[in-house]
Amino acid sequence: MESNSPDAESGDKCAINGDCSLTSNKDSNGLNHAKNIDDISTPSELKFDEDFEFEDSDVTEKRKELEKCLSNPDVVNLEQWVHFAKSKGGLISDEYRRKIWPLLVGVTQEEMTVPPSLDELSTHPEYNQVVLDVNRSLKRFPPGIPYEQRVALQDQLTVLILRVIIKYPHLKYYQGYHDVAITLLLVCGDKASFPLLCRLSYGPNAPLAPFMQATMKPTQHLLNYMLPIIRRGDDRLAECLEKSGVGTMFALPWYLTWFGHSLNRYTDVVRLYDYFLCAPPLFPVYVTAALVLHRAPDVLACDADMAMMHCLLSRLPDDLPFEDILVTAKKLYEENDPIDLDGEVAALEKREEEQRRLDEERMRRRAAGRAGGRPVARGWSYLPVVLRRPGPRRAAFALAAALLAVYVYYRPDLFR
Amino acid sequence: MSEPNESVPGLKQKKVFKIIVLGDSGVGKTCLTYRFCEGKFLDKSEATIGVDFRERTIRIRNEDIKLQLWDTAGQERFRKSMVQHYYRNVHAVVIVYDVTKPETFHSIANWMQEVESHGLTGAPRVLVGNKCDCGTPESRLATTYAQRLADKHGMPLFETSALLESECDNVESIFMTLAHKLYSKQPLRVLSVEGENKPKLVTLSRQKRSNADSGSCLCS
Ligand SMILES: Nc1nc2c(ncn2[C@@H]2O[C@H](COP(=O)(O)OP(=O)(O)O)[C@@H](O)[C@H]2O)c(=O)[nH]1
Ligand SMILES: [Mg+2]
Repeated sequence: MESNSPDAESGDKCAINGDCSLTSNKDSNGLNHAKNIDDISTPSELKFDEDFEFEDSDVTEKRKELEKCLSNPDVVNLEQWVHFAKSKGGLISDEYRRKIWPLLVGVTQEEMTVPPSLDELSTHPEYNQVVLDVNRSLKRFPPGIPYEQRVALQDQLTVLILRVIIKYPHLKYYQGYHDVAITLLLVCGDKASFPLLCRLSYGPNAPLAPFMQATMKPTQHLLNYMLPIIRRGDDRLAECLEKSGVGTMFALPWYLTWFGHSLNRYTDVVRLYDYFLCAPPLFPVYVTAALVLHRAPDVLACDADMAMMHCLLSRLPDDLPFEDILVTAKKLYEENDPIDLDGEVAALEKREEEQRRLDEERMRRRAAGRAGGRPVARGWSYLPVVLRRPGPRRAAFALAAALLAVYVYYRPDLFR
Repeated sequence: MSEPNESVPGLKQKKVFKIIVLGDSGVGKTCLTYRFCEGKFLDKSEATIGVDFRERTIRIRNEDIKLQLWDTAGQERFRKSMVQHYYRNVHAVVIVYDVTKPETFHSIANWMQEVESHGLTGAPRVLVGNKCDCGTPESRLATTYAQRLADKHGMPLFETSALLESECDNVESIFMTLAHKLYSKQPLRVLSVEGENKPKLVTLSRQKRSNADSGSCLCS
């Protein structure tokens, strides 16, 4: 759908996630990395990570060190790269990232092979879903990217994803995987991004592997660490979240895409990837917790209502101080190893299980209440039927029954 | 962000109707809810991961009603344990298919099953065939065919497009129909409003539309 309506540009910015009308005017500065891109033959030429902002002297210093190391990479050990990636500002620019990301996950030059053509892969059963999501990934490309280049990159993206799930057939594609894949592709190009994505997807410690199992149960389990981590940081906040019943869904896209899906600023996304590529697999959940802790005042001021809370949390402001958030997350991790949280997570899951059981019971009741209260609403496909007065004789009974049914419907808790 | 929602004694709280939007991936659930809540087409829609939430306040007979739309991910793997949570306290259901993709229409049976498994058989439901701006009349799923299924399940059918400006009234009426239906179901209203609202009700014009007037194609 290439037809752009004039107001579409401002419109799509407020829809990046959550998208509640209440706050839709908030992040109007949207993507701020617009550059003209003339050529994409090598990924570094995309250069849409540069902000042309005043560079602070620490960063200038770090840049020098990075260049020194990159001029003679063979004598640099992994720890040094990891230090660069984790410390303030991360790897600074995509030019460095392109070379260092593969090193962080141990990808070698030999693994960077030429990808097959899309036609060879189009018979894969997940092909349609992947293409559907790739076609809807426009927002992840630099604004102003010429049409042909964008389409070429989108084809590369589809190939990249399919290559991984063909190589590891037990891994299942999930919506959001394409957001990780595109970040790697934009930074590292189509050859290096394949072994990189493989490394992240397959293996005992691969951070994306839990998301690619037959069901989302493992993912859900890992996300359940968020609340106990938050509790370690701020008891009252955790209480507030739990009371609202907001659950963990608001953080699901953050975790599944390492924030790629949910942040407007490309520079924030790649900065986080610098860190995540060399952090423990559960670290993104700690960042999620740190982010919620950072927004504690907003959360505490929000109604204890599931919808409001989901809405507030799922939309991320554009000016989040990720350097601070990463420091907090690191501290939380050091002080609260996942193993120490296992007990709390188990307790939380037990409570949820109980809630689920109650819900199911309620659903059954709801269905039963309806069936008994009034006939299944076949008639309302034509609204006037619904509005017609019931026949005089049965009216009183029907009305009473309907009232009861509706009452049970709205206050099922009273009929438990 | 702050809604005056604190329960001030004596002050009426806004009524909230919670509507869940279901359907296969890519049929246009996100665009439809966006169209209704923001009044425009979402030009760069993205895959929905998990559940998105949008809302809009409408007025029914001088009363403000909050419509909460829960826009769900279509991909199977999100549905099992994840989306379940969001069925809690749902009042109404919208099931969407893509008129240019018969397989999304055939999935309706599965969606109905999911709805039923959550005890929502009696809740107001509507069926929406989206993207009627696409394809040729021959390539689109025939209205009569869809109508038959809608009748079978006792739901109104809407054929619409989230893309076309000219269809926005129709998108409007999908959700307004549900809102009126839910409103009229409320216990205390049933007694006081009978008959009074008949002329004001949204019309389901599209329902009776013939296939003949579908010439407004934007894409092929
Ligand atoms: N032509 C046309 N395209 C649409 C319409 N609604 C949605 N789309 C497109 O269909 C794709 C999927 O839409 P989306 O709302 O993300 O689907 P969802 O997965 O059901 O939420 C996007 O590329 C939209 O631009 C419509 O009414 N007409
Ligand atoms: Mg969607």
